[in-house]
Amino acid sequence: MELPPPDQDILARRDEIVAALKTIVSDGVVDDAAGRQVFDCDALAAYTQQPLVVVLPKTRQQVIDVVKYAHAAGVPIVPRGSGTSLSGGSLPREDGILLALGRMKSILEIDYENGCLVVEPGVTNLNITKAVEANGFYYAPDPSSQIACSIGGNVAENSGGLHCLKYGLTTNNLLGVVFITPDGEEVRLGGKAGAQGGIDLLGLITGSEGLLGTVVEVTVKILRKPPVTRTLLGSFDTVQKAGACVAAIIGDGILPAAMEFMDRQCIEAIEAYNAPGYPPGSAAILIIDADGVEADVTDTMQRLAAVIARVGGISVEATDEAQRVRMWSGRKASFAAMGRLQPDMICMDGTIPRKKLPEVLERMAEMSEHYGLGCCNVFHAGDGNLHPLIVFDQSKPGEFEKAEAFGADILRLCVKVGGVLTGEHGVGIEKRDLMPEMFTTQELEQQGRVKCAFDPGGRYNPGKVFPTLSPCIEQGHLHVRGAQLPHPHLPRY
Amino acid sequence: MSKVSNEAQVMDFVRQARAERKPFEIMAGGTRRHLGAPISALPQLEISAIQGIVNYEPEELICTVAPGTSLPEMESVLAQRGQRLGFDPADWSAVHGVSGAATIGGAVSVDAFGPGRLLRGPARDSLLAYRGVNGLGESIRGGAKVVKNVTGFDLPKLMCGAFGTLSVLTELTFRVYPRPSRAAVLAVKDVGPLEGFAHLRKIARSALEPSGLAYLPSGNTLLPDVGRGAALIRLEGEATPLQEKTIMAKALLGAPLDDVEGGLDLFNKIRDGVMFADAKLDVWRMMIPASEAPRIAAEIAVPLWLGDQAGGLLWLAAPPSSAALIRGLAAANDGQAMLLKASDEHRARMGLYAPPPPPLAKLRAGIKNAFDPDGLLNPGRI
Repeated sequence: MELPPPDQDILARRDEIVAALKTIVSDGVVDDAAGRQVFDCDALAAYTQQPLVVVLPKTRQQVIDVVKYAHAAGVPIVPRGSGTSLSGGSLPREDGILLALGRMKSILEIDYENGCLVVEPGVTNLNITKAVEANGFYYAPDPSSQIACSIGGNVAENSGGLHCLKYGLTTNNLLGVVFITPDGEEVRLGGKAGAQGGIDLLGLITGSEGLLGTVVEVTVKILRKPPVTRTLLGSFDTVQKAGACVAAIIGDGILPAAMEFMDRQCIEAIEAYNAPGYPPGSAAILIIDADGVEADVTDTMQRLAAVIARVGGISVEATDEAQRVRMWSGRKASFAAMGRLQPDMICMDGTIPRKKLPEVLERMAEMSEHYGLGCCNVFHAGDGNLHPLIVFDQSKPGEFEKAEAFGADILRLCVKVGGVLTGEHGVGIEKRDLMPEMFTTQELEQQGRVKCAFDPGGRYNPGKVFPTLSPCIEQGHLHVRGAQLPHPHLPRY
Repeated sequence: MSKVSNEAQVMDFVRQARAERKPFEIMAGGTRRHLGAPISALPQLEISAIQGIVNYEPEELICTVAPGTSLPEMESVLAQRGQRLGFDPADWSAVHGVSGAATIGGAVSVDAFGPGRLLRGPARDSLLAYRGVNGLGESIRGGAKVVKNVTGFDLPKLMCGAFGTLSVLTELTFRVYPRPSRAAVLAVKDVGPLEGFAHLRKIARSALEPSGLAYLPSGNTLLPDVGRGAALIRLEGEATPLQEKTIMAKALLGAPLDDVEGGLDLFNKIRDGVMFADAKLDVWRMMIPASEAPRIAAEIAVPLWLGDQAGGLLWLAAPPSSAALIRGLAAANDGQAMLLKASDEHRARMGLYAPPPPPLAKLRAGIKNAFDPDGLLNPGRI
């Protein structure tokens, strides 16, 4: 995977660019090599690149001034939130300004009457919930990195989490943004009323992976925390039964708050790691949350147990909070548990139609054998979002390449069965060259023209999402070395 | 008028129109032609024959349809499997005094959301994927037929509320939702707007997951004997949970809460704007922060109005002379006022929405150009 070659003219003008930025953000320009090193990758750590310079604005006006300067000077910009992207969305460029928004972290307004918060982009996902939880509210999207990831980054990536099936992704929980265009103009889209009066540019910007501009203010919806949440574990002796169970639950009109699938390899790795006590011998298990008012949850739990029995599974409901936490502890430790099997691991992120799950798992088992590499599956079963984890040992010659080829085959399979390349991690640099697997040339050109409407100079996050080079190199991944994820303190599941 | 019945014919038509540089109007049911700036004397592309359910998979929560499918047909197909659309699509034929079948393509194109938006969002939150023909005559797919996808730009969002100015839609894929087996409509009666909307916001902030919160003022024509006005609450669920929710709502409001007979039909009438069917005045749909509804309604002070979305949406029938006041209040409160019905002359003058500030106008023009560089599709409608 390569980024477009750096512009030598910009590299030659580096001192002048740094000096100009220092006049805009006097206390927030990082230009020494050691300082820039800190920013040389995001959570897709297989790719590193030192930025030309890092600028850390504190105010909206500073962002505007930096963007206007870069526009006039013809310098690329790579926006960055907390740098937790799993697809290389904020991988710097040698000839680009890294515009890091982490210092803009004020909560500007909490408005319970209208059920919303207005925040700056650097506020972390979890801090939004923390700001309102004392009053019984929360912000629904919960990516596993929520303790660190920023709301600006969530907007850029349209981040998901465990609870998307019922509560949607970021895009479904936004009311408005203030946005700086690549030429430095300020644009307000939506707001507390959630109304834009015309074409939905808010929807376009959400998930645009930093290609269209910079978000400097975000208005999010908050929800009342459900009074009751209960958890049920279903175990199955075949993958087919587990797959049938997921279809039957949805077909029965149940909308669980979360529904997670794990296969045998994954269960075994987890039991060896933190022994949550999953039923031995299961070919697959489902962990299902229901939330809402008491009677609603009781009703849902009864219906879930009935469906699981009907398809030939066995269900256990957590009777107290401790058991509930234990059931989830295994799922949340799945990345770490798999990471112990081999020194290296990559995590894929495709979505498939749920009904294709048995077929896809079977094909993946064949691929696993073909490549001679272990693979396990955790799966947001409710919404069809698959996270195959491939384990390998990079010190063995050719194994990394094999793992990459295996991962690419999995994503091609996802597209072939009617699914997509990425359900929540984003395309970034990781899956850029696989885009033609999913879109025709005309469709990619259509998206390219949309990009041009915002950024005719192609200076915003160039080299990401859309293949500009010939698609000849397999994609990268979330790369784990020695069971250590990038940002090891962040949970990943 | 050119009638087409499949995408290939749409592509031929658009290519021909492009070669001849002839803009055209897109039409299916024709029930929403009186929305937006009038388009007069243009050739029509009639797509109502591109209709029917293409693929419905209840277990996947996905339904793919052709845009000419009528709303009743789509709702009935989903209802047979205990499901429904999330955005509670409205049929505004009564408001415009037209006959014909409102279609799903039209509902998406004008984002005709109903009271259920409160729970599941407007059309943009339901449309997962589309196929359509752009102004170059190319068939383009956007999004994907799975419920979770972040691959590439989210083009389906652009189609919702674009009034057919970006593409001729030929196929739509929706995320659908379970339809709860029971619903109840409850009312707090004899409350003025200040008190009534406060009740609604209290329910909106609760964990009751209401699917409709509306206020009907005194003198409204949908529900008699409301005294100073009625705050209406639509709750849903299975039998026992629904009972519990009703008890919780009563406790929360500390006010007498009556069951409204025919309440579901009442909400459908609110959705479809039935109260404004005979209005001789302009009809507005004004979106504002819910907390501002009592103040703004009082300031506009028209006799025929109601509040939906706990106050976040005001329906108003107002004389043309009130237009500046309505648009001004919308702008001052971070909102938008859509001119739903007016004379041709007044619609041409006022536009569907207030003109956007120049940087936003430039971006929108850029998007139009990205899909339809020759300005062929529904020119000038928004």
